[in-house]
Amino acid sequence: MHTLSNTSNDPVKQAGEAGNVAALISDLQQLLPASGLIMSTESQRPFECDGLAVYQQLPLITVIPETVDQVQGILRLCYSHRVPLVPRGAGTGLCAGAMPHAEGVLLVMTKLNKILHINQHTATARVQPGVRNLALTDAAKPMGLYYAPDPSSQIACTIGGNISENSGGVHCLKYGLTVNNLLQVTLVTIEGKLITLGGDGLDEPGMDLLSLFVGSEGLLGVVVEAKVKLLPRAPRVQVLLAAYDSVTAAGDSVAALIAQGIIPAGLEMMDHLAISAAEDFVKVGYPTDAQALLICELDGTDAEVEEQLAVVSQCFKNHGAKHIRIAKDAAEADALWQGRKAAFPAVGRISPDYYCMDGTIPRSKVGYVLTRISELSNTYGLRVANVFHAGDGNLHPLILFDASVDGELERAELLGGDILTLCVDVGGTITGEHGVGLEKMPQMPYQFGDAELAQFRRLKAAFDSEELLNPGKGIPTLKYCQEYRSLQHG
Amino acid sequence: MVDLTQQLEEQIQHAYVTKTPLKIQAGNTKAHLGRETSGEVVDMANHTGVVSYSATELVIRVRAGTKISQLNDLLAEQQQRLPFDPPSFNGEATIGGTVAANQTGASRPWFGGVKDSLLGLGLINGYGEAMQFGGQVMKNVAGFDVTRLQCGAMGSLGLITDVSIKLLPEFKAGHTVTFEMTAEVALEAMLRWANLSLPITGMSHFQGLLYVRLQGGDSGVTSASNFLGGEQLNSVAAKEFWQALKEGRLLQPTPNQILWRWSGASDSPIDAGSNTSLINWAGAERWILETGSNPPLEGLTQHKGGDRLAQVFGAVSPPQQALQQRIKYAFDPHGILNAGRLYSWM
Repeated sequence: MHTLSNTSNDPVKQAGEAGNVAALISDLQQLLPASGLIMSTESQRPFECDGLAVYQQLPLITVIPETVDQVQGILRLCYSHRVPLVPRGAGTGLCAGAMPHAEGVLLVMTKLNKILHINQHTATARVQPGVRNLALTDAAKPMGLYYAPDPSSQIACTIGGNISENSGGVHCLKYGLTVNNLLQVTLVTIEGKLITLGGDGLDEPGMDLLSLFVGSEGLLGVVVEAKVKLLPRAPRVQVLLAAYDSVTAAGDSVAALIAQGIIPAGLEMMDHLAISAAEDFVKVGYPTDAQALLICELDGTDAEVEEQLAVVSQCFKNHGAKHIRIAKDAAEADALWQGRKAAFPAVGRISPDYYCMDGTIPRSKVGYVLTRISELSNTYGLRVANVFHAGDGNLHPLILFDASVDGELERAELLGGDILTLCVDVGGTITGEHGVGLEKMPQMPYQFGDAELAQFRRLKAAFDSEELLNPGKGIPTLKYCQEYRSLQHG
Repeated sequence: MVDLTQQLEEQIQHAYVTKTPLKIQAGNTKAHLGRETSGEVVDMANHTGVVSYSATELVIRVRAGTKISQLNDLLAEQQQRLPFDPPSFNGEATIGGTVAANQTGASRPWFGGVKDSLLGLGLINGYGEAMQFGGQVMKNVAGFDVTRLQCGAMGSLGLITDVSIKLLPEFKAGHTVTFEMTAEVALEAMLRWANLSLPITGMSHFQGLLYVRLQGGDSGVTSASNFLGGEQLNSVAAKEFWQALKEGRLLQPTPNQILWRWSGASDSPIDAGSNTSLINWAGAERWILETGSNPPLEGLTQHKGGDRLAQVFGAVSPPQQALQQRIKYAFDPHGILNAGRLYSWM
């Protein structure tokens, strides 16, 4: 179990903090109704981690505001008392970005959960941050619209959390990440002030502050309202499945398809271990003898889909697909997707624990990287199942381990770290969509140099000079980087 | 094909020490945008060339001084294109200036802006430090998004040295249809059609005509064209119209006129009191050519013409202004990079 000790070694600072905390709690009690404050250890237990449960920490106090005014008040109080604040939505994140701070306030945004307005003409929606991703798509459905970013946690995750992490999903290959589907954000600064970034239009004059804010992992401000783009539902959606004898052939198929200029709505890949686990779990008829599967979704008008379907089928055949199955109807398409969507829990059934990675690599390196991961898997003696967004090169290797066996979690983390540095080595990144949070801090100095990291820190200071917003996450401190580099060279 | 990064770094390092104001320039095609500034010129015109181009990955990395026209020619050889279709301003505009000034063509509502295709960039900050942000992969959420922050910053946060861009395949077919309509009726049609999942890549209203451009696969374009009806525009005239629109040639202010830009929700009514000259981006961008110096509506950008020392981008709220000043300081503490280009206070 990982816990973070944020205890300061400075006795003067410690005494100051203790005084601040008592005053802060008293002020918060004035600001919020009793139901908006959680202080007991037992009641705070459900909030001690996000989706990456190996990192846990109880906060000092948990607050659940219901209005924007209350959010502003909470931030003002944290600022005036100099107490850290960690914002969170539904807590489905996978990088410990929403893990509480031992001496800080945990701000839970899930009660600001209203869809304020859906405009059918402009295909946009104004929402509060606690609105669930899928709830927005459901609400837009009668108008023939949907919200494109669809992370696998979409049934639970919130729009505010999606903005903080720049969430993707299986359809972001064609329709983009959160940053590509957002028009405006109203945020509360650490001083409690409201600032609106972006606008009603498509490109506002001046620097793109909205994009800077997206994916900033709660380090720059707290979202209280957002305006997002919705998309018209395509008249036709076609899903097909292709089975391969090797992951390399499947990887080559992906690169070849993109090179031909076809951008499917989704293009996912699963390896043998993931296929078997998923088929055992949901029984949708995946060929369990295949070494790799591609699931490809095409959308558009009938004419567009027919044209693309012919090209895609031919391309997959040319690159070694042994078997291609074209879904005959919506029910079969759903079934083909179901196995992919259930892949994580399915892997959970064949191993006591699993650890999900999130590197992104150039598409042409998929075959090489999967081979290297297989070698690393043997070296560390831990199985790895691969499920990923092949179309955009975003890997999700699932490292299987048993936390009750001494040293296995540590080995899983070391293997995970090696996979991430491998991604950087082939020109990729340590995180495609899950974020850095606390989890990937050790790899940040591997991906970025000192000048870039210093620039990140100065940018952070422009928003939050006292370093109160989600401290210890996302951007390593100078001291952290120096320690990291001395370890690397030691 | 010259890499001047080291020389550019040295120039900025020297300016940092001597606190010398710098003016970033390459093709000098965007002097009409933003505010007028002065300073020692940082000449990007010779910092050119393709660093890497993987046609099968649909990714290109080029130095900032590379011309848009040359880039378009290179990509056309591989049947690929820049998704944001920027203007080339008589062939002289460069990719660095295009990113810095956030220049996007008529397909903006459907294929996104510069930020939607930008994967990474090299940047020299006001200390003279060369840095790399983002990369060449499709998804990357490590660290703050310094890359996209540069779109529209007009060089005020750093000198862009190279950019990595996600490309798209060239359209196989294209077709433009026109409809005789008033602006009000055209706006209704645009809103209706924009939500129909049709292969539309442009909808603009100019001088009593609604222009609808369809681009994509053969059958998709043909069936959409049959569905919409309207008058077919021959391919030469269509090309000329979309080119003139993109390059800003449709509306040219005379010396006593100002071209104003409005950006907002596409269903905003046409303001009766103002003389809307052009509707673009399916209603989300509108242009007003007016005589005199007073803005005909609130919240407009003084796009071209008029006093270029005024606050051409309009007012900013006090907390937002303070935040932008702190961000400027984080990149450029001595305020030497394109000072005053965006706002007088930055």
